[in-house]
Amino acid sequence: MKYYFLALGTVVVVCVGCAMDGQQLTKKGEYHAPPAAMMQRPGPMVDGPGPGVLPMMAPPPQRPFALTTSQVRFVGPDGMKVGWQVPGGFAESQLIAPARYNFVQAQTYRLKLTSIPGHEGLTIYPTLKVYPGHPNTEAYLSHNSLPVQINVEDLEQVEGNNFVTKVIYLPDARYQELAVANVETLVSTRLDPGVDPIQEADKMGTIMAVLEMGNLDLEMPNPVAPQGTALNADGSEVQQVAYRAAFDGEQGQMMPPMPIGPAGQHVNGIPNAMMMAGMGLPGQPAGPISGVNMPVWGMPTTGTPIGLPGPTHLPYGGPAGLQSHTVRNQTKMDLHAPVKDVLVDVSHEPGLSLPPPVKYIQYKEKHPVYSPGELSYPAWAQPQGGYGADGAYCPPGQQPQ
Amino acid sequence: MSRALQAFVAALLWGGLVCVGNTAAWAQGTISGHGRYVPIDQYVPPGIAGQMALQAGKATPDHFQPVRVKLPTTGTVTFFDGTPQRPVELAAPAQAGLLVGRMYRLRVTDLPEFPGGEFYPSIELVDRLHPPPGQAERFPVEIELFPEEFTGADNGRMVTKVVYLEQPNLVLTQHLHGEKRVTDLAPSQNALAEADFLGRPIAIVRMGGRTPDRNAPDWQFWGPGAPIRITTNVTNPQP
Repeated sequence: MKYYFLALGTVVVVCVGCAMDGQQLTKKGEYHAPPAAMMQRPGPMVDGPGPGVLPMMAPPPQRPFALTTSQVRFVGPDGMKVGWQVPGGFAESQLIAPARYNFVQAQTYRLKLTSIPGHEGLTIYPTLKVYPGHPNTEAYLSHNSLPVQINVEDLEQVEGNNFVTKVIYLPDARYQELAVANVETLVSTRLDPGVDPIQEADKMGTIMAVLEMGNLDLEMPNPVAPQGTALNADGSEVQQVAYRAAFDGEQGQMMPPMPIGPAGQHVNGIPNAMMMAGMGLPGQPAGPISGVNMPVWGMPTTGTPIGLPGPTHLPYGGPAGLQSHTVRNQTKMDLHAPVKDVLVDVSHEPGLSLPPPVKYIQYKEKHPVYSPGELSYPAWAQPQGGYGADGAYCPPGQQPQ
Repeated sequence: MSRALQAFVAALLWGGLVCVGNTAAWAQGTISGHGRYVPIDQYVPPGIAGQMALQAGKATPDHFQPVRVKLPTTGTVTFFDGTPQRPVELAAPAQAGLLVGRMYRLRVTDLPEFPGGEFYPSIELVDRLHPPPGQAERFPVEIELFPEEFTGADNGRMVTKVVYLEQPNLVLTQHLHGEKRVTDLAPSQNALAEADFLGRPIAIVRMGGRTPDRNAPDWQFWGPGAPIRITTNVTNPQP
């Protein structure tokens, strides 16, 4: 009987092909590399200055095509004039759609859209937020432009006193269905009420630009004299004279747009981490201080409500200090006591998984075997030249007879 | 424990031992990426794959690999020798030596299929060829740009190609002659891993619809620049 089971077990294993070896219980046979942004830097205490590496390290190699601008292509409607805010006013008609322009990344711009076909009397002042480049989008932004299309539906929504948000993002690979990668545009008016298009786009990919439109008139003359305005003896307002620059692109007066704020940056008011390094390398500033006269190193993105960067995983020359943050409220109120320790669990899903390091390599070369009297020639040194009648290269043994 | 149960447990143990001995075979057959782990893909920022190739020692930093750019019909291919101020215009098919591991921006113009159109693809060499000594110019890396790729780029789409050298024992015999094999992959597939499975990835070619903006020029568009080596198109000598 036992020989029967022994044979049965062997046959089953051989036939099934060892589909189960026990590893399926814990591993699914797939690996997950860290995100592209994490692949850029090894991590804290490895590439940045720390206690043991305070003298400045050599600067990281410059990444090619790390563009500082994103090219925005105003697809249409054809003939629409695009202006933007400049110091002292608006520059008119800087572009006529279809047209494109390189906007500096991580900035917000105020545009002025006029002469829209079918809506000649309508002037829109949308806000264009050009997000900073990301490792996921660098390849795209360095080779492609961001399409901005204002269609009839958007204009009707704006005229109907609605707020339109268009988010241009690059979908993650798993959300792309076409063989050729392309950007997607998420429009707020096509989503359910209450759904934030920016959050939705952020879930599905990497945001590259956001266009927000409403019907606010930014150049409406002020009919009421503001408080404190000087008045004449008859009570009329004193007409002030001021120089106001006017730029009209149709007359060849071009003016670059003025950023009115940051875009795509996490602003939390936390001071930058300041680390002072030792003697600088030649060509580097003497006494470099991180965040002062050199780029910020290792700035944590997680803040604590006491104004200090945290968590203190980046050493400042000593062990981590902040381990607990407690706020006590003595007011006679029915409030819950503040927690003593704040614990934030973060995790990647799926987790990072890399294959085990190589511990065995088998290297085998196969060489042709020749009989006595035969000699191995390289193809290009064959006696007949190694080329066919048409001059094309012929592998050994295939030369025409 | 009955004898039958003991025999059954022994059979399970025996089966387990056999399975442990075949773990390698299982791993090669089921892990995605054809049993290999490829940490980089076509979505890494431009230049990263080339830098890793140099660090891996696939080529020396000063090795000029001849590259021949072929267009659907005719046209002009412009290489830039270190800086966009030194353009080198060549009629297609255009051949030049490029450094492995560096990024090159090209300009393709005068395409009869796209009158007035300008395209700015980029080439990133991640490996080199090993032709017979002295005949490197006769065996360049051939990068062929197809009409549908220009159409896609003209429509604002992003085209990423991985040019690889086929592994001889993986080439079907009916493909020994004729046109190059082109395989379209889904975006979720790792093109570098597929090319690595079929042979040796040599170059990454990217092309989109972005063009230089003369009103607001961005010099980063041209990349850091790298020297090129211009050679004449070499034809096969007659036997």
